[in-house]
Amino acid sequence: MTTSPALPHDAIVLQNVEKQFGDHVVLNNVSMSVSSGEVVALIGPSGAGKSTLLRCINLLERPTSGSITVEGVTIQVDHSIKAKELAALRSRVGMVFQSFNLFPHLTVLRNISLPQQRVLGRSQAEAEERAMTLLERVGLADKAKQYPGRCSGGQQQRIAIARALALDPKVMLFDEPTSALDPELGLEVLAVMRELADEGMTMVVVTHEMQFARDVSDHVVVMSDGAILEEGKPHEIFASPSQPRTRAFLRAVLDRQ
Amino acid sequence: MTEIWNDWLTHHDQLLGGLWVSLRLAFMALLLGLPAGLVLAVGASSRRRVLRGFIVVVIEIGRGTPALVMLQVVYNGIPVTLTGFVCAYIALALTTAAYTSEIIRGGLQSVPGGEIEAGRALGMSSFDVLRDIVIPQGLRIAIPPLMGFCILMFQATSLAFIIAVPELTSQARSIANNTFHYLNLFVIAGVLYAIVTVSASLVTEQVEKKLQRHV
Ligand SMILES: Nc1ncnc2c1ncn2[C@@H]1O[C@H](COP(=O)(O)OP(=O)(O)O)[C@@H](O)[C@H]1O
Ligand SMILES: [Mg+2]
Repeated sequence: MTTSPALPHDAIVLQNVEKQFGDHVVLNNVSMSVSSGEVVALIGPSGAGKSTLLRCINLLERPTSGSITVEGVTIQVDHSIKAKELAALRSRVGMVFQSFNLFPHLTVLRNISLPQQRVLGRSQAEAEERAMTLLERVGLADKAKQYPGRCSGGQQQRIAIARALALDPKVMLFDEPTSALDPELGLEVLAVMRELADEGMTMVVVTHEMQFARDVSDHVVVMSDGAILEEGKPHEIFASPSQPRTRAFLRAVLDRQ
Repeated sequence: MTEIWNDWLTHHDQLLGGLWVSLRLAFMALLLGLPAGLVLAVGASSRRRVLRGFIVVVIEIGRGTPALVMLQVVYNGIPVTLTGFVCAYIALALTTAAYTSEIIRGGLQSVPGGEIEAGRALGMSSFDVLRDIVIPQGLRIAIPPLMGFCILMFQATSLAFIIAVPELTSQARSIANNTFHYLNLFVIAGVLYAIVTVSASLVTEQVEKKLQRHV
C-alpha cells in the first residue's frame, strides 16, 4: 500500500515546548499539532507568547526544551542542531512578519529570486521565472523592477508572501501580517492568504482579525500567559468559549473592531 | 607673492613629484586598509565572544596608536628591509583598517534586525545574510564618513616625512632646507594639499546627495 500525499498527516507537531528568556518563562510546556492543509488561527492577548511560539517553529527562537517536528523531520532542541538541519527546516517553513522585512536595496524581483538561488541553488533564470509567476499570483507583476520602498504596505506584504512561497514551503507562518496596515490595505493581504488557504496550504496565523479567524481558519488556538488556554473549531470558540479568559479577550477584541 | 610664485616656478617638478608620491601612498594605504577595515568590522560584530574580543583589542590598539608612532614602529620594527614607501604604506593601511572598521561597523549595525531575521527565516546562511543583506546596505550608509576618512588619510601621508618618504611635505622641507624659504614652500605645499582635499570634499558632497536620492 502506498500512502497518497493528499492524505492528511501531521505537518507540524510541537511537543512540550518551553521557552525562557532569562528566568522569565514565556512558553510553558506547549504542545500542539497542525494537520497538513489545515489553517490554524493563533489568538490571544498581547504578551501571551504567540510570536515566540511561531518563531520556535522555524527555530528563529530556540526553545529551552521540547521537540519540533515539521513534515516528519524532528528536531530535539536540547541536542545540538546542525546548520544543515536548520536550513532544511527553514526552507520547508515560510514566514511572514508584521513589518514585511523586504530587502530595500534589492528590486522586488530580486527580493524573491535571490533567496531561491542561495537556499535552493536555482539558476537566476529559473528563480526569476518562479518569482514572476508568484508576483502575478499576488497581482504585482508590474512591480517587478521597482524597489520595495516604492510600494504600499499592502503591496510589500504581498511581495513578502511571494518571497516566502518561492521556496516552495510546506508550511506558512504569519505573525500579525496585517497589523501594520490600514484596514483597506490589510484586505488585499487577507485576500491572498485566503486564496492560499483554499489551495490547501498548511498555515499558522497569529492574528487579531477575528473575521479572518472565523471565516478562514479550520482551528483556533487561544493562548494566554505562555500556555494554550483552549482550542477548537472556530464556531465553538467564537460562539461558546469555555474559558472566561477567552470570553474576556474576545469581547475586548470585538469591541475594538 | 612674487617670491612664492618664483619658488613654485623653480621647484614645481620636485613638488609635483612629491604630490604624486603622496597620492600614491594614500591610494595604496586605502586599497589595503579599507578591505581590512571591513574584515575587522565583521569580526567585531561576530557572535563568537573570543573572536570578537580579540578583534576589538586589535582595533583599539590600532586606533590608540598615533599614525606618527605607527609609521616609526613599522619602519623600525619589521625585521626585513623595506623601503620607506612600503613601510609608510603598511603603517597607514593599519591605521586606516582600525579607524574605518569602526565607521563600517556603525553602518553594518544600522541595518534593521528584521531584515536579517527575514533572511534567516528564508533559510539563508549567516554568510549569505552578511554578503547579500548586511554588507551592501551597511557599506552604503558608511560611504560618506568613509570618504571623509579618505581625505584625512591623504593629509596623514604628510607624516611619512618622518621615515624619509619623498612625499610632498618632505620635498617642501628639503627644498626649504637649501633655500631657507620655509614659509613659501609650506604655503605652496598647503595649496597643493588643499586643491586635492577640496576637490575630494566636493565629490563627497555629490555622492552624499546621490545616495540620499535613492533611499
Ligand atoms: N527576545 C526577548 N527577550 C526577552 N523577552 C522576550 C523576548 N521576546 C519576547 N519576550 C517576552 O515574551 C513574552 C511573550 O512575547 P510574544 O511572544 O511577543 O507575545 P505575543 O506575540 O503574544 O504578543 C512577552 O512578555 C515578551 O516581553
Ligand atoms: Mg506578537
